[in-house]
Amino acid sequence: MTYSSFFVSEFLVLWRRKQDVFNALLFFIIVVALFPIGINSSPDFLAPAAAGIVWCAAVLAILMAVESIFKEDYLDGSLEQLVVSGLSLPLLILLKVAAQWLVVVLPLLVIIPLLSEMLYLPSSGFWVLIMTLIVGTPSLFFIGVIGAALTVSIKQGAMLVMLLILPFYLPVIIFSTLAVKATQSGLPYSGLLAMLLAMSLLSLVISPFMTAIVVKASVN
Amino acid sequence: MSWAWFHKLGSPKWFFSWSKPWALPLFCFGCLSLLIGLVWGLVFAPADYQQGNSFRIIYIHVPVAMLAQSCYLALGAAGFVFLVWQMKMAPVFIKAMAPIGAVMSLVALVSGAIWGKPTWGTWWVWDARLTSVLVLFFLYMGIIALQNSLEDQVLANKAAAVISVVGLINLPVIKYSVVLLETLHQGPTFTLTKKPEMPAEMWLPLLFAVIGLYCFVAGVVLWRMQSEILMSEHRSSWVKQEVTKHGF
Repeated sequence: MTYSSFFVSEFLVLWRRKQDVFNALLFFIIVVALFPIGINSSPDFLAPAAAGIVWCAAVLAILMAVESIFKEDYLDGSLEQLVVSGLSLPLLILLKVAAQWLVVVLPLLVIIPLLSEMLYLPSSGFWVLIMTLIVGTPSLFFIGVIGAALTVSIKQGAMLVMLLILPFYLPVIIFSTLAVKATQSGLPYSGLLAMLLAMSLLSLVISPFMTAIVVKASVN
Repeated sequence: MSWAWFHKLGSPKWFFSWSKPWALPLFCFGCLSLLIGLVWGLVFAPADYQQGNSFRIIYIHVPVAMLAQSCYLALGAAGFVFLVWQMKMAPVFIKAMAPIGAVMSLVALVSGAIWGKPTWGTWWVWDARLTSVLVLFFLYMGIIALQNSLEDQVLANKAAAVISVVGLINLPVIKYSVVLLETLHQGPTFTLTKKPEMPAEMWLPLLFAVIGLYCFVAGVVLWRMQSEILMSEHRSSWVKQEVTKHGF
């Protein structure tokens, strides 16, 4: 097993489970749909709230996807094989997260134009929203994967992961929605995008190592 | 400087015998100082010229809020110590400290809400500091929940240490982001009525209360750690000796 073959196989395993990919996407869409139905469907409310709604839904969909990233590997023993494979465990985790990111976030980006029409997002904010999603979601994955590793040995761990990890997602949501709001009032937003990128890079540096510590403790 | 004392802290037995004489005096001193601060602050300190008597809740609110933050700092430090030096006492400390921190942040939120009603006219504002204490409360509850749901003790210790360290790294980011949220939002602005330069008879009781609460918590944490040690080491011979000699 090499790093590249590991990445390709991880990606293919995720991609060929079409139903799971669709489920995450459908979950995302239905959470978005809850807001106009539940709160207010007028453009006056939705246009300024659109970015926040999309981000809240994305956070939940991503966390649901990340939560089970190690579950199957843990149950069938392949997580143990990763630990003893002789390859660097943090790097393997990084590749695993990257594969998951591609499979979850790319379909999400494809559906965004449709949703932003439905939420009356002004066109000035559209590309910024796309950019925040591209730059900000890696940190969601990297932080979430720590939670997934922490709870991998617990049978019903989804709720616990939500409780553990959602507080860490607040800054990402705040920076992203502020960036979109800034364009709507004509303010510069590059600083907020830079903050999002900084958070993604920080979590990229820390998370694989932290996750590796927990994975090693979980499998022995 | 010798680091032997630091490494000795890794041994439950040594830690137990070292901390035993400290818990009670710290606790008693803390109670006394807290009592002095509270009685002085609540009864004798002059009323605020703007807020009247309602400001007196500061003598509860401020010490508790300070503790809520310091406890997390201590948790993160203990988590780091455990991940780097595998010190056995660090997870015991985290386990003893996390519920206290959760209670402190909850009391800070509740007392802040009670203070907010007469001064701001509302129980809750989505203000930077309130929001960050709320997040802090969730972080504490997460640690407690994680420790309770993991059966394997070794894994539970490591997990609590990891999440404490990750939390400590993220806390400044969370704090900074909610400040940004507040300052960009020009919603209904509630500002704390500018306090006059506090005279000594107002801040001295506060100082007593803060120091008292710190000592109180230190004493309680030592006790909790000692009972945790006794429970986890109940098979070892020194615990048997300890219990038969001194009783509980």
